[in-house]
Amino acid sequence: MKVPQWIKGLLWTSPWWLGFIFFLAGPMAVSAYLSLCDYPLLQPPVFVGMDNYARLSTDPIFHKVLANTLIYAVFSIPLGTILAIALATLLNRNVRGQAIFRACIFVPTVVPVVAVAIVWMWMLNPQFGLVNQGLRQVGIDGPMWLASPGWAMTSLILVSVWIIGAPMVIYLAGLQDIPVSLYEAARLDGASRLGQFRHVTLPGLSPVILFNVVISIIAAWQVFALPFVMMKSSPGPDRSTYFYTMYLFDNAFRYLKMGYASAMAWIQFAIILALTGLVFAVSRRMVHYRGA
Amino acid sequence: MSIRNCALVILLGLPAALLLMFGPTNRHDIPNDRVVVRYWEKWSGVEGLAMKRIVDRFNATVGKTEHIWVDYSAISNVDQRTLIATAGGDPPDIAGLFDHVIAQFADQGALLELDDWVRRLGIREADFKPIWWNIGTYEGHLYALPSAPYTIALYYNRRLFRQAGLDPDHPPETIDELSRYSERLTRRDANGHIIQAGFIPAPALLGWWHWVWPYFFDARLWDGRHFTLDTPEGRRTYLWIAEQRAKLGIPAALAFEATAGAIEGTQNPFLSERLAMVFQGPWMSNWINTYTPDLDYAVAPFPSVTRERQNVFASSDVFAIPRGARHPGEAMRFLAYVLQQNVLEELCKAHCKLSPFRRVGEAFYNGHPNRFVRVFDRMAASPYAFGHPKMPMFKEASVEMLFLLENVLEGVRDPLEAVRITQKKIDAIVDRYERMSAKRRALQP
Repeated sequence: MKVPQWIKGLLWTSPWWLGFIFFLAGPMAVSAYLSLCDYPLLQPPVFVGMDNYARLSTDPIFHKVLANTLIYAVFSIPLGTILAIALATLLNRNVRGQAIFRACIFVPTVVPVVAVAIVWMWMLNPQFGLVNQGLRQVGIDGPMWLASPGWAMTSLILVSVWIIGAPMVIYLAGLQDIPVSLYEAARLDGASRLGQFRHVTLPGLSPVILFNVVISIIAAWQVFALPFVMMKSSPGPDRSTYFYTMYLFDNAFRYLKMGYASAMAWIQFAIILALTGLVFAVSRRMVHYRGA
Repeated sequence: MSIRNCALVILLGLPAALLLMFGPTNRHDIPNDRVVVRYWEKWSGVEGLAMKRIVDRFNATVGKTEHIWVDYSAISNVDQRTLIATAGGDPPDIAGLFDHVIAQFADQGALLELDDWVRRLGIREADFKPIWWNIGTYEGHLYALPSAPYTIALYYNRRLFRQAGLDPDHPPETIDELSRYSERLTRRDANGHIIQAGFIPAPALLGWWHWVWPYFFDARLWDGRHFTLDTPEGRRTYLWIAEQRAKLGIPAALAFEATAGAIEGTQNPFLSERLAMVFQGPWMSNWINTYTPDLDYAVAPFPSVTRERQNVFASSDVFAIPRGARHPGEAMRFLAYVLQQNVLEELCKAHCKLSPFRRVGEAFYNGHPNRFVRVFDRMAASPYAFGHPKMPMFKEASVEMLFLLENVLEGVRDPLEAVRITQKKIDAIVDRYERMSAKRRALQP
C-alpha cells in the first residue's frame, strides 16, 4: 500500500508539530483561559472574567515593574547595540591577536548568567569590590551600587552590557558580509572613514541591527536571572530593580496567583509583539536588504 | 562508509552507548520487598548528612522489618517544588518544609491532616513544648511536625560592651535599654562614617525576619481574620525604628549596611566586630566557632518593650505529608521513628538547633555546638513566644512589610503614613483572598 505524500510529510514533521501543540500552543491556550480565572494552583480555577486585567491596571507594583523594565530596555538596548557594533568594527580589523580579542569579548557570553551575577555582586561590593577599590585609587568614593535606589538599576544595565558577545559575533559576521567593492567605491568617491561607516557599514549592517534589536527587546522584557540573583530575589531598594518577569514569577510561584500571573504574561506578550511590530514599521525605510 | 562518517558515528554513538550502559537506571540498592517512601528535604551539607544517617538507620532496622524504604533527596526550593508536584499529582510522601508556608499550603488543601495519624502512632502533643506543636497547626488541625526548631535571641559582643563601659553580664532587657546600649556602642571615624554599630534592625543585617519588630512591642499581626499592623503597638514600633535611624543618620547608616557584609557568611559584621548586637538563631555559634573562635560573646533573650512580657520569636523546620502522597501510612511510620526523642534530638543537635521536647535530657545539652543552647531553650517556654503569622497570604504580606521597613529605614516616608499605607495594602490582599475563598466554597458541590 502506498502511503500518501501528505501523511509521510506529517509523520516526518511530527516531532515539531506534536511538540508545538503539546508544549506551546496547548499551554498558551490554557494560560489564556487562566488569565480570566482566579487560580491558586491547588484548587480549581474560578472564572472571574477580565478582573485580573482590571486589577493590573490599578496595581501600583505592576506599574512600577512596567516602568523599571521599560527603563532597563530603553538604556540597555541602545547601549548594548552601540557597544557591540563598535567592538565588532574594531575586531573586524586585521590586527595581531585578533582571535584572542574576539575570544575575550565572547567569553562572558558562555559563562552562565548566575555565575556572571555572583561575580558582579562581588565586583560591585561597596567596600571590598574591585570597582570601588579602583575608584578609590583615583580619589573617588564609589557609590553603594546595588544598595542604593539611584544606582541599582544603573548597575544592572552596566552588567547586562558586559554580556554582548553573542550580538557582537553576529555583527562581525554581518560586517564580513559587506562587499569590499562598496568600500572601494566609497573611497574612490572620497568618503572619509566616518563617511564609509555611515554610508556603507551601517546600511550594509542594517538587517543584522534589526535582528539584534528585536532579539534584545524580547530579552529586555524578559530579564529575570541577572536581577534575581544579584538582588538575592528581592525587589531591591524601593523596588527599583523589580522587573516584569520577577513580579510575574512571584505572583505565580510565591503568592500562587496563577490567573494574575497568566494575565501578566499575556500583557507581556502583547507589549513585545507591539514593540516588535513598531520596530519593523519604523525600520522599513532604514533597513537595506542586498538584492532587494 | 567513509572514515569521516565512521568517526561521526562513533562520536555520536559512543556517548549514547555509555549513557545506556552506565547512565541513570532504576535504583538497584532498594530491596524488592520494600514500599518506597519519597522524602524531599531542604537540607544539604552537614545538615543533610545528619538526616541521611537517620534515614539509613531506619532503612536498616525498622524499615527492614516493616518493608519500608525511605528515599531521601535534598531539594532546593523545596516548598515551591512540593507545591508544583502536589498540583501535578505526583508529590513526595514526606516534604521537609519551612513553618511559614504551613498556613498557605494547608489552606490550599496541599497538606494532609495529621491528627488521626499521630493518635494512631502514639505521637503525643504533651511530649512537646506547646510552641513547637502549635507551629504545625492551622485552624485547629495538625498539618506538620517539628523537625529542627529554634528561637531567635540577641547575640552581643562582651568585649565591645566592656570597651563602651557597659556591663557584659547585663545585656539589654527592654527596647529602651537596647536603644541606649546601641547608642553607646556606635562609633564613628573623623568623617562621621559609622565604623561600629550597636544594633540595626535593617534587612541586610537580619536575615529573614524583617516583619518581626512589632511583636517586640507587644503587637500581634494576625488575629485569625485581620492583619493588625496599624495599632498603637505597630505605630510605636516604626516610630522607634525611625528614631533609631535618625540618631545614626540615614546616609551614614545606609553606607554602613552596604559595606558591613551579609549576616549569612564570612563577612558577617558581628564576627568582624563591626556590629555589637545581632538578632540571630542558635546556628550562629557554628559560624563563630569556624571563623572567629576567640570572639568574646554571649546570648540573651531579645528585649521587649517591657521587662514583664518576654516576646520570643520561635520558628521551626517541619515535616509534612503532601496531599496525594502515595504512601502516607509508611511516611508516618518513618516520622514516628524520627520523632522519638533520642533520634530527633540527635538531628537537632547536629543542626545546632533546639530540642522540641518538653523535658530535655542533659545528654542533649552536653556537647551541643551552641554553648548557650539552654538560653534558647528557656526562651521557647515563654508564654509570649510567637511564630509566623498563620495567614495563608503571609508571603505577600511579608513583602509589603519588607517594603515598609525599607521605606522607614531610608526615610522615604513618614513612619505613621508608611504603616497606614501598608495596613491598607495588606487589608486589600486579605480581602481579595477571603472573597475568592468564599466564592470557591460557594461553587463547591
